[in-house]
Amino acid sequence: MGLDVNTKKLKKNAYRVSKERGIGASRIRVPGGYLDARVLGMVQEIAEEYGNGFVHLTTRQGFEIEGIHFEDMDAINEKLQPIIEILEINQEDKNSGYPASGTRNISACIGNNVCPFANYNTANLAKKIEKEIFPNDLHFKVACTGCSNDCAKARMHDFGIIGMTMPQYDPNRCVNCQACVKGCKSLSVGALRVENYKIVRDEEKCIGCGVCVTKCPTRALTRSKKKYYKLAIMGRTGKKNPRLGEDFLIWTDEESIIKIILNTYEFVKEHISPNAPGGKEHIGYIIDRVGFEEFKKWVLKDVNLLPETKIKECIYWNGIHFDR
Amino acid sequence: MKNEYIPQLSKIREVIKHTETEYTFRMEFKGDVKPGQFFEVSIPKYGEAPISVSGISENTVDFTIRKVGKVTNEIFENYVGDSFFIRGPYGNGFDVDNYKGKNLVVIAGGTGLSPVRGVVEYFARHKEEVDNLTLIAGFKSPDDVLFKEDFDFWNETIDVIMTVDGAPEGYEGHVGMVTKYIPDLPIADTENTVFICVGPPVMIKFTVMEILKRGIEEKNIWISHERKMCCGLGKCGHCKIGSTYVCLDGPVFNYVDGKNLID
Amino acid sequence: MGYQVTCEQAEAVFSSWKEQYDIFAPIRMEGEGCFSDTDVIRYGQPDRLSDIVWDKKSDYSFKEVLLKIHEVLFYFTEDQTTVPKGPEKEILIFLKSCDLHAVKRLDQIYLKNGFEDFYYKRVREKAKFILMGCETTCDSGFCVSMGTNYSDNYDGYVKLEADHALFDLKEGGLLESLEVLVSEAERDLNNAAKPKQITVTPDYVKENKEKVTLPKNLSNESFTKEIWKEYGSRCIGCGRCNFACPTCTCFTMQDIYYKENAKAGERRRVWASCQVDGYTTMAGGHEFRKDQGDRMRFKVMHKIYDYEKRFGYPMCVGCGRCDDICPEYISYSNCVNRLAKEEE
Repeated sequence: MGLDVNTKKLKKNAYRVSKERGIGASRIRVPGGYLDARVLGMVQEIAEEYGNGFVHLTTRQGFEIEGIHFEDMDAINEKLQPIIEILEINQEDKNSGYPASGTRNISACIGNNVCPFANYNTANLAKKIEKEIFPNDLHFKVACTGCSNDCAKARMHDFGIIGMTMPQYDPNRCVNCQACVKGCKSLSVGALRVENYKIVRDEEKCIGCGVCVTKCPTRALTRSKKKYYKLAIMGRTGKKNPRLGEDFLIWTDEESIIKIILNTYEFVKEHISPNAPGGKEHIGYIIDRVGFEEFKKWVLKDVNLLPETKIKECIYWNGIHFDR
Repeated sequence: MKNEYIPQLSKIREVIKHTETEYTFRMEFKGDVKPGQFFEVSIPKYGEAPISVSGISENTVDFTIRKVGKVTNEIFENYVGDSFFIRGPYGNGFDVDNYKGKNLVVIAGGTGLSPVRGVVEYFARHKEEVDNLTLIAGFKSPDDVLFKEDFDFWNETIDVIMTVDGAPEGYEGHVGMVTKYIPDLPIADTENTVFICVGPPVMIKFTVMEILKRGIEEKNIWISHERKMCCGLGKCGHCKIGSTYVCLDGPVFNYVDGKNLID
Repeated sequence: MGYQVTCEQAEAVFSSWKEQYDIFAPIRMEGEGCFSDTDVIRYGQPDRLSDIVWDKKSDYSFKEVLLKIHEVLFYFTEDQTTVPKGPEKEILIFLKSCDLHAVKRLDQIYLKNGFEDFYYKRVREKAKFILMGCETTCDSGFCVSMGTNYSDNYDGYVKLEADHALFDLKEGGLLESLEVLVSEAERDLNNAAKPKQITVTPDYVKENKEKVTLPKNLSNESFTKEIWKEYGSRCIGCGRCNFACPTCTCFTMQDIYYKENAKAGERRRVWASCQVDGYTTMAGGHEFRKDQGDRMRFKVMHKIYDYEKRFGYPMCVGCGRCDDICPEYISYSNCVNRLAKEEE
C-alpha cells in the first residue's frame, strides 16, 4: 500500500516534507523564544520516541524534530498538546497539533527579562501579538526587539517592533558627569549635549535607545512610564528584492501596532495577487504594486495614534534588486 | 551666621601687562593678607578660580593671572574700572619669620613666582632681616618673563638668576631649567640655609631632589601646592591629598609634611 | 517614651507630623531604576508610613536631603548676590543606623572642617532623625564591622508591623502628636485599641553576612600595591559608588548665565565624584590622578585611613551601597579585606 499523504494539509499542521521519502519533521513554534524549561523535556521525548533523536533549533525560535514518519502524525499531535498548552498557542481543536500557517512565529530578542539594554518585555509582547493574529495563513513575519541594537533583526521583518524609551530628565539630580553624553556619542547617535552644565536632548535625533538612562549614575535620567516603540516595516530576505525595513511609526504604542498588523491582513486579503504561488505573496511586494498610500489608507483605519507619534508619510525601500 | 560662599565685589584698580598671556590685576581689598594665600576670584559668565596673591598693599591685592582655562580667559577682556567678585583670603601663606636670619633661596617656576613674590619683595626691602637672598626664577621663554620691573629692582638688591627653558639665538641671559643652577649655589652653612620652591608639580619634584643633594635638611625646604579648588573652605574635596586639605592646611607646606602629599 | 499603637493610629501620628515637618524617607520610585521595569529606592516624601520602604536598604542614601545634589548658592547680577531661601518647615528624616552614623561624618566635614557651611547648617539645624530598625542584615552591609549597627542618638524610632506599630520618641515635638492621640483614645471609652505604653528597643543587626577587617598598617607605601592596578583596569569611573555613599561629600561649582539675560545668573554646587574625569583637573588642563586605579586607591584610602587620620574615626559606615551599585562588580568591602589580608 502506497503512502498517500496530503502534503498541503500536513504543512498547515506544522510538518515539513523532507528530502527523504516518507520522512518529515515536526515544527514547534515558541512565541518570543521564551519557554518553560519543561517543554525541552517534552521535545526530547518526542524526538527520541518518534524522530531520529535530533532536533534543529530554527532561525525563528522553534524546534524542528527530525526524522518523523508521516504515519505517526496523530500520535505526535497528542504528544504536542501539553507543549501547546504551556506555550499558550492559539488552537482550534485539541490534540490536533500546531495550527501552522503562513504567518510565522513571532520572534524576539531576550528582552528586558534579562538584557540591561532592552526597553520592554519582548516575549510578553510577542505572546500578546500571537494571541491576536494566530492562526493565520497569510505570510507575515513579525519580530520584537528590545532596543535599537535590533538583536532580533526586526528590520528583516514585515513588522519590526523596536523598543524605545523617552528619556525623562530631572536637572536637579544631574551632576554634569556627562556619562550620558559620552554614552550617547559612543554607543548611539550623539543626541545629547551640555548647555549651562545641564543636558539638552535633540529630540529630532534621539532614537529612544535608553543608553543615557543606563549610563546615568544619579537617576537624573530615567525611562518614561509609557513604553514606546518604533515600527519598522517591510524588511525581508528572499530571491527578488531583499531589503531592510523602513521606519513607519516612531514613538508609537502596542495598541496601534497590533491594530496596524491586523489591518494589514485585511489589506493583503484585498490586494494579494490571485496568482500568488501557494497563496503567499510578500506584503512588501504588494505595497510595491499597489502603492504606499493605499497601504497606509488600509492600515491606519481606526488607529488612534498617540499625539507624540511621528509617522512617515512616504516610504521608499531600497535593498538589492535581483529582479530587474 | 556668615555665608563664606558669598563673594564681595572688588574694583580693578590697575592692570599690569607682563606678557601677551600674563597680566597682574590690582584689586581693591581691605584686610590682612599674607603672601602665599589665595582668593577665589570669580569672573562673570565663567566661575571661580583659586588665584594666589602676587602683591599686597594696604588697600589692594594683586592677582597675576595666566590666560589658561575658560575662567581666566574672560578676565583678560575686562579692564580697569570694572570689578570682579572675590572671596578670601584662604590658606596659610608664607610666614616670613621662618626665613629671618637665614640664607634664603627662592626657586620659582612661571606663575609660581606670584605666591612668593611677596616674600622676595619683603626681604629685598628688609635686607637686614635675612643673611642672604637668592632668587632663581625660571620661565618658558624670554617672552614669558613676569614682573620685569621687579627684576630691575631685585637685580640691584639681591642675587638673581633668571633663566628660560629656551630662547632664540643671540639671547644673552641664562638658558636652562632652574634645577641646573642648584648644584653651583654658594652654600656656606647648610644648617642655616632655607629654600622655598614654588611652581608646577613636576618642577617642584625635580627641584627638591636637587636641593636635597646639597645636604639641605627637609625641614628647611618649603613648597606651595597648586590644586583644583572649588570652595577654599575644606568642603568640596577637590584639593584633598591624603588627610590634608590643601586649601585649609596649605597651600604652603614644610617639605617634612609636603613630601607625604602624594596624589 | 515607648508606645504600641495600631497601624491606623500610627498613620494618624504620621499625618500630624506631616503638618509640622517635611518628611523624607526611602520610597520606591517605580520604573525609575537603571534598567527597564526596575525600580529605585531613594529618598522622597511619603504620604503615609506605609509608603516607606522598611525592609530594604535604599539604593541612594538620605544625604541628598541634607546636601542637595544640585543646590543654588546664590543668584547674581553684575554687582549683587541673592541667596535663595532655606527650608521653612522642620525636616524629619527616616533612616537606618548606618545612615544615622553617616550624619556625624557629614557634620564633621560641613560644620567642623574649617569653615561652617552656611547651606548645610541651615538645613541641618532643622533636621530630626527617625531611626528605622534592621531586623535582619542586608546582604552587602558590614555595619557590625564598622561599629555602626547600633544607634541611640535618634529623635525617634518607628517600627511598622503588619498589625501594629511601635514608637520610641525622645523629642518633645514628635512626642506631642502621639500624646494627643493617647489622651484622645483614653477619653474615648468605646475605643478598644488604646495605645499601650511599653518599652521599645530598636531592632539592630548583631551579625552581618559580610565581615570586613580594616588593614592596620596602611601608609603612603600602600600606594604602590598591585591591587590598585587591578581595580584600575576594571573601574569605568562612573562615580556611582560616590553618589550612593552616605559619607561622600564632594561638590563642584557651576556658574551659569541666563540665556535671556547674560548679565544675571546663578552659582550652584553639584555633587562631585573623585572617580569621574575632571575631579582634579586645574585650569590649563593639568590633572593629578588620571589613572582609574589611583582614583580607586584615593577613595578607599580616604574611607578607611585618611579620614580617620584627620578626625579620629573611619569614614566608611559599612552600608554596602557602593558594592550594590557598581556596574563592574567591584566590591569595596572585598578590596578592604584584601588589603587587610596582605598585611598578615
